[in-house]
Amino acid sequence: MSKKDNAHKTYHRNKTVTVMFLCVLIFMILIGRLVYLMVFQSEYYTQKAKELHERERTIKAARGRIIDANGEILADNRTVCTISVIHNQIEDAEEVIRVLSKELELSEEYVRKRVEKYSSIEKIKSNVDKSVGDIIRNYELAGVKVDEDYKRYYPYDSLASKVLGFTGGDNQGIIGLEVIYEEYLQGEPGTILTVTDAKGVEVSEAGEERIEPINGRDLYISLDMNIQSYATQLAIQTMETKQAESVSIIVMNPQNGELMAMVNVPEFDLNNPYTLPEGSVEGEVSEEKRQELLNAMWRNGCINDTYEPGSTFKIVTAAASLEEGVVTLQDSFSCPGYIMVGDRRIRCHKVSGHGAEDFVQATMNSCNPVFVTLGLRLGVDNYYKYFEQFGLLSKTGIDLPGEAGTIMHKKENIGQVELATISFGQSFQITPIQLAVTAASIVNGGRRVTPHFGVRAAYADGSGSQSFTYQIKENIVSKETSETMRYILEQVVENGGGKNAYIEGYRIGGKTATSQTLPRNSGKYIASFLGFAPADNPTVLAICIIKHPQGTYYGGQIAAPVIKELFENILPYLDKMDYNNKSGKNYNESHVGTEEN
Amino acid sequence: MSERVLSRRKTNSIANYMDYSLLFIVIFLLGFGLVMVYSTSSYEANLSFDGDSAWYFRKQLGATILGVAVMMVVANIPYHFWERFAVLGYVVSVIMILLIIPFGHESHGAKRWLRIFGISIQPAEIAKLGMILFLASMICTMGKKIRNRKGFYTVLAVPVPIALMLWKITSNMSSAIIVMGIAVLMLFVSCPDYKRFILLGLLTIVGAALIVFIIVKMAESGADDLNFRGARILAWLDPEAYASGKGFQTLQGLYAIGSGGILGKGLGASKQKLGFIPEAQNDMIFSIICEELGLFGAIAVILMFIMLIWRFMIIANNAPDLFGALLVVGVLGHIAIQVILNIAVVTNTIPNTGISLPFISYGGTSVMFLLIEIGLVLSVARGIRLKDL
Repeated sequence: MSKKDNAHKTYHRNKTVTVMFLCVLIFMILIGRLVYLMVFQSEYYTQKAKELHERERTIKAARGRIIDANGEILADNRTVCTISVIHNQIEDAEEVIRVLSKELELSEEYVRKRVEKYSSIEKIKSNVDKSVGDIIRNYELAGVKVDEDYKRYYPYDSLASKVLGFTGGDNQGIIGLEVIYEEYLQGEPGTILTVTDAKGVEVSEAGEERIEPINGRDLYISLDMNIQSYATQLAIQTMETKQAESVSIIVMNPQNGELMAMVNVPEFDLNNPYTLPEGSVEGEVSEEKRQELLNAMWRNGCINDTYEPGSTFKIVTAAASLEEGVVTLQDSFSCPGYIMVGDRRIRCHKVSGHGAEDFVQATMNSCNPVFVTLGLRLGVDNYYKYFEQFGLLSKTGIDLPGEAGTIMHKKENIGQVELATISFGQSFQITPIQLAVTAASIVNGGRRVTPHFGVRAAYADGSGSQSFTYQIKENIVSKETSETMRYILEQVVENGGGKNAYIEGYRIGGKTATSQTLPRNSGKYIASFLGFAPADNPTVLAICIIKHPQGTYYGGQIAAPVIKELFENILPYLDKMDYNNKSGKNYNESHVGTEEN
Repeated sequence: MSERVLSRRKTNSIANYMDYSLLFIVIFLLGFGLVMVYSTSSYEANLSFDGDSAWYFRKQLGATILGVAVMMVVANIPYHFWERFAVLGYVVSVIMILLIIPFGHESHGAKRWLRIFGISIQPAEIAKLGMILFLASMICTMGKKIRNRKGFYTVLAVPVPIALMLWKITSNMSSAIIVMGIAVLMLFVSCPDYKRFILLGLLTIVGAALIVFIIVKMAESGADDLNFRGARILAWLDPEAYASGKGFQTLQGLYAIGSGGILGKGLGASKQKLGFIPEAQNDMIFSIICEELGLFGAIAVILMFIMLIWRFMIIANNAPDLFGALLVVGVLGHIAIQVILNIAVVTNTIPNTGISLPFISYGGTSVMFLLIEIGLVLSVARGIRLKDL
């Protein structure tokens, strides 16, 4: 071996070593890259990969029930099933098609199309009765999936429909209490996390991670199913006999604002809230028009609509005047059948006039000129002050969605004529619930309560109970004024325009109203009556509003009898409830009607 | 003369010398490869072959056993025996590649295979082996002529036709790069010069950077006639933007690598192999190694390859003659380039190009030819005289 050859080999060797180290260098760079990816970027990619591998299936939480004052369930859940097929797990397609079309009463082509469609999961039918779902499950067909689900169910169909409201496809509240108490009712859905391969097939060895759902809390409300049903019957009856457009009845406890009933007929079927009443649409209607009709059907007139209260509002004028001291019970007036305000002549409903009368008699007669006089005595500033003090300018804060505000003149726009008309309940608009609450505050000793249904929420096992508290504004009128008002309004029922609401053996106070709807020459009226009992210490207050009756339209003649009939039935019932309650029989934690509460 | 006799006698006395270190490394890699092939392919095999989860594993095992037998045969044939086939190897490579045009067997959207007696063979693999043999023989024949410019360019020109054909006919760019790389490395070792190679390296880097730059500019200006490879470059720069197209495989690979973390999910516990990475047993197998065995496993595999290259270097530097040394350098170049390219592709360090991981990825032809090359190296190692070590 020559030296030259060795020299040759030396640089060959050096170069081979160079190549080796070059390779090692590149490997080091790649290891650096790996460290970056697997240490510093690991969290990011792990998360991404997890999202890719895990299929999340939600387990619906059962929505909380809505339970009335007697423990009666007004909104419940029914277990329904969703039937679907997983294409690549089906073994005997013909058998699957045969069974599903038979049990689900679907056409064979319909089922075949879905079974033969190549997709990961194909829904055949949802909202299937649990019994049918169980039958299908018992066939144990490969590739057929029966998933249980909850559907809202209202055992009394249309009872208190506009109060309770209903839920949508995702079990979320759409209107009514279902919306307001969504956070309590809805609960938290659970999840099933399963690992799947790229085709979406579950990898069984990987197991599944399950997070149990937390069911929603039950909502206990002050509404009394018995009172509500009875009021509904009365309202329907009245609407039919008077051929009225609608009839609303509110029954509340004036002491604490708990609502016992809120009826707006026509009601709608909560189990089919998207079905318009028969005959309301002719032929095909546009989607927009249909939605409009649905919204009208779902509307809760007691809180969503405003109206001119008319004579029932004289309660407010009277209370303000007494409070301000511009009138006493003994003040005497003379009604010629009209009163001149500026250059305007405002007529009394009795064209011939009431003649000489004292203040109590004027109220019994519902004499417009007297109340105009009181309004003028108060003056714009004072009247507006009381309007505000009574809470008429703000909303009542009822626990239902979409409460309408008061439509009132701006203070600077109120002249003598406006003041005069406001005094007997015209030229402005309030909601029925606003009137009921204001009247309640005036007769309950001057405490403005917040009307409400929600009493408390608790889980089905009784845990997590949360009682709702509502604001009470004290001293909106003095106790004396309140007492005087109770006396006057009892006189109205005993001897005055409200005598049709008189019930032997009960002390009832109230006020009638008949107001013409705008435009004034339409010949359409709203008849109403507001009553409370017992007159000396009211525990129940009710208002009945009949919109656009045919024929007789005087509140004293058509609305007062409704409240009378209502009271005739519910007063003994409430007494009994009260008795039960006092005797320690705990029929319900959220009872109605006692002052102690 | 007496020296020659002595040397021959010495050679005879160590006729049974075997580089057991190399043999062990190769067998370890093969065994590990088989485990990983089974791990990565069993889920898909189970679905595709009616419950036969060992389908790919069995085929690979067969090819491996056959390959090891062939390797032992080659290792026992003195390597000079092959020198006479050098030119033939080159010619056969060319013919085989050309045969693809009429008889090529298409698979995975590319025409790269020839079916002979029912066995699929990739002419690219033959071309790589042929190139190593041809260049080793040619450089030995050239002697000192390789030192001048003409010699340099002649050697550099030799692989170009093969590389071009591989690229254009089989659209197999990675094999073309490997063939060129093998040639450059063999030339580098056989030529004392450095400057030219540094220049060549710089030119390659500048050229690559320029291509990337042009493609990015074109993409920015909204040219949508970017071809196959243009889109690959864009997907390389931002795989998440091309997640459903060209970046899909890369991104899925990154998910696998990244989710492996430092210690991995454990052997067999990969999620990405459940169809997310298509044919995980092929080119992307390294990403599953990362996912299952973590950074430690990945580094261990790289260390095995570094040891393999180190053995090649030892054998090359102690080879009895230049021909033997060049054969080993060629094999070293082949395996080193292929491993580096594969890992670089899988970690998205360079744009995606289909390239398998030697000894580990699934593929019969690849393992067969790699083992023939190892056989050659072992044969060279047998000629080493102990005093040289």
